[in-house]
Amino acid sequence: MTRANPSIRRQLLWMTLLVLIVINGFVAWSANLYANRAARLSYDRLLLGSVLQIAENINSLDGNIVIDLPRSAFETLAMAPSDRAFYSIIGPDQHVLSGYTDLPDIPFDDLDQVRDQGGQITPFFYNGVYRGEEVRFLGVNKQLIDSNSSSDIYIVVGQTLSARQELAKETNWFVLRFVMLFFAVTLLLLMFGIWRVLRPLQRLRKAIDERSALELKPLILPVPKEITPLVNAINRSNTQLNSTLERLKRFTSEAAHQIRTPLAGLSSQAQNALDEKDETQRQQQLSHIVECSNLLRETVNQLLNQATLAHRFQSQPLKSISLDRLTKEVCRDLVVWALQKGVEIEYSGKVEVEIDGDDFALKQMIRNIIENAVNYSSRQSVVEVSLHVEHGKSRDEVVLRVKDQGIGVSDEEKQHIFERFYRSPNSQQPGTGIGLAIAKEVAEHHHASFRLRDNTPRGLIVEVVFPPVEVTAS
Amino acid sequence: MKRLPVFFLAILTAIVIGTAVGAGSLLADKVLDKAVDNSTGSELVIYGAVDRETIKSVFSAFLERHPQIALKYREFNSLDLYQYFLEHPDERPDLMLSSAMDLQFKLVNDGYAQRYSSEHTDRLPTRSKWRDELFGYAVEPIVIAINTDLLAGAPLPQSREQLLALIRNKDHLLDEKIGLPDIKSTGIGYLTWSYDSQLSRTYERLLEAFGIHHSRLYSDTRSMLRALTRGEIFIAYNALGSYTQAWSQEHPWIVPVLPTDYTTIVLRTAFIPKASRNPAEAKTFLDFLLSDIGQQLLTEHSSLIPVSGGPGNDSGSPTLFGASHSLLRPIPLGLELLLQTDTAKRQLLFDEWDSAMPHLSK
Ligand SMILES: Nc1ncnc2c1ncn2[C@@H]1O[C@H](COP(=O)(O)OP(=O)(O)OP(=O)(O)O)[C@@H](O)[C@H]1O
Ligand SMILES: [Mg+2]
Repeated sequence: MTRANPSIRRQLLWMTLLVLIVINGFVAWSANLYANRAARLSYDRLLLGSVLQIAENINSLDGNIVIDLPRSAFETLAMAPSDRAFYSIIGPDQHVLSGYTDLPDIPFDDLDQVRDQGGQITPFFYNGVYRGEEVRFLGVNKQLIDSNSSSDIYIVVGQTLSARQELAKETNWFVLRFVMLFFAVTLLLLMFGIWRVLRPLQRLRKAIDERSALELKPLILPVPKEITPLVNAINRSNTQLNSTLERLKRFTSEAAHQIRTPLAGLSSQAQNALDEKDETQRQQQLSHIVECSNLLRETVNQLLNQATLAHRFQSQPLKSISLDRLTKEVCRDLVVWALQKGVEIEYSGKVEVEIDGDDFALKQMIRNIIENAVNYSSRQSVVEVSLHVEHGKSRDEVVLRVKDQGIGVSDEEKQHIFERFYRSPNSQQPGTGIGLAIAKEVAEHHHASFRLRDNTPRGLIVEVVFPPVEVTAS
Repeated sequence: MKRLPVFFLAILTAIVIGTAVGAGSLLADKVLDKAVDNSTGSELVIYGAVDRETIKSVFSAFLERHPQIALKYREFNSLDLYQYFLEHPDERPDLMLSSAMDLQFKLVNDGYAQRYSSEHTDRLPTRSKWRDELFGYAVEPIVIAINTDLLAGAPLPQSREQLLALIRNKDHLLDEKIGLPDIKSTGIGYLTWSYDSQLSRTYERLLEAFGIHHSRLYSDTRSMLRALTRGEIFIAYNALGSYTQAWSQEHPWIVPVLPTDYTTIVLRTAFIPKASRNPAEAKTFLDFLLSDIGQQLLTEHSSLIPVSGGPGNDSGSPTLFGASHSLLRPIPLGLELLLQTDTAKRQLLFDEWDSAMPHLSK
């Protein structure tokens, strides 16, 4: 469940965590680098201090080299409290004058290269392994100038690395602790931030939860800009739902009324027939009852049809349908029935049209229109059904046209005949008044619209105008 | 009344015995064999520059607790110990004890010691150990021992300044009557003298006074104290405080002075050589030496002053340090000691010494 619906909160958390880990990892890494460098620099400086103090106390006296090591040089070295230290003072012939005689790999060439010029001593650092431990060495070359000669003295001081490592570790640990604190604090702040950002969503959910099932008033909530469209969409769908519900309510009450009235009529007529003594009168009354009940059945059928259509519209996806084939089928179905009424149905389609639609619903619509045309025509007349394309100004339209020569519909009635249960008062035909209402709903579902015109000399032209689609001339 | 005869007797003895004792006797090669040995027994070899009498009580208490260990102790003069250690790589002991901090330190710095830490070594104050390799087990104030017969009513000198005044006062009475440790042949003698040279404002004048009065040289404190008792000398400079203290209890007219300008404090140190054949036994002994019992034995049965102020150690270093803290100058157990072992520095000091004491170079 949660896998299918990833939580925004969790995703945000993971992202921030990832970013934080990357940032903090980088900081920790550079802290390590920095700590090592700082430790190396500071202890190198001590080493240098010690070497300089030693160098200062080596002098040439009457051709003799006098080495008087200062205590301070060793005190400086002792600032690394648990490191071993080694030193060597080497004469011009690379003969050790004092200190350790076996220091490894003294780079005399390098020391000669950095030889001091004008009293300036340049240090040369190098690492080596001595007596089983890694040692940081510092060598200098000092020139002793006597009255008539000068000679090169080499001073090498080395110290093991544990104090450096300790300092680096300490610095590193210090920074790491800071980084961890920073990590925790930022994570907390971010979590708080995420909670704050997501709070409107929570509020929205709560607001929806708290509404009763039938409350469809628009939600009015202070929400961030990003969520406003969501609220708008919810409100829009609610409005639609509301109007549908309204329509359904109206429909139910109208339907109930429409069924109740004929039922009451039926029952009183049946009562009359029971009481009627005269046989022919009773026969008449009974046949009237049959007529009425037929009409009632028709009404119920239409209502059920409409309900079926409403259901189909919601559940059935639109399929590609050949409109011309569908129209021909309906004509074929109705032609015999029409002939019994003395009406001829003519189909004159010139195009093949494919539209996305619901075939059952479309058939229903076309059937209702043609039935009307037949029903409200006099005998010996023709109903023309045609399908063609009209080239409009901006776009092409597919038009389904049903033309009859019947009684027609007056102009003020034209706006009413699509209303449910509306029937023209001067129509002699039995009917329920639902047919065109259904047809209109179907048309709307297919984004089509109705056009009504008067036929000459008499009759009605009903046109269904479909939005432009791909058309092949046949 | 009593002082005078002793004084004369002392002079007399000095003349008879002369400088024979001054040459410094080597105390090595006396092996202390304890009759032990069951077949499973192990061995512990200790080389030390500690008086056998002094450390005896600790040894026997240790052996009582560990009867399976055969302990061999070999006593050296501190400089000899250092040289013997370097010259006989095949005969390295399991433990090295010495009061010559600088020489011990040099050996450890040169990588001859192995690391060890236990609850006992961890208890040591940081100034009393180095790298978990070198451990101080006792402190040793360096004193001036004076035969009070010399004073004849004059006040006991409390500082080097006052000592110089006294020497000036007594003048020829002190010719050849001042005893010094031989800095060339004893490690502790060189250590303390070179420390004086670094620290003391009176060093030059002392050297001069010692030279003028043809001071005698001794190889250790004990022989110096013997000479003092015999009246061969009246003043013994830079004597080990512990021995002197013990000595003065038997010979009340010999008085140790802790000079108030500064009193040098030396650490007696121990380390376990890397080449030790019985490191486990050495560690056991070291722990015992540093334990409360070991430290207490040092206090009670010898004149050594324990290094740790652990529980039950009311006497010893805490009191000593507490008494007059400011005048005590412990020689730091650290890289500064390398200076003491520097040959060039050593030669400089020897040159000064020789030129001040021409009577010795004959
Ligand atoms: N072709 C037509 N000619 C004349 N009047 C028509 C025509 N089509 C519809 N009408 C009028 O419009 C009214 C509504 O038509 P609608 O099809 O909705 O109902 P009905 O035909 O009366 O009943 P049913 O539901 O059985 O079709 C009809 O009663 C009729 O008066
Ligand atoms: Mg109809």
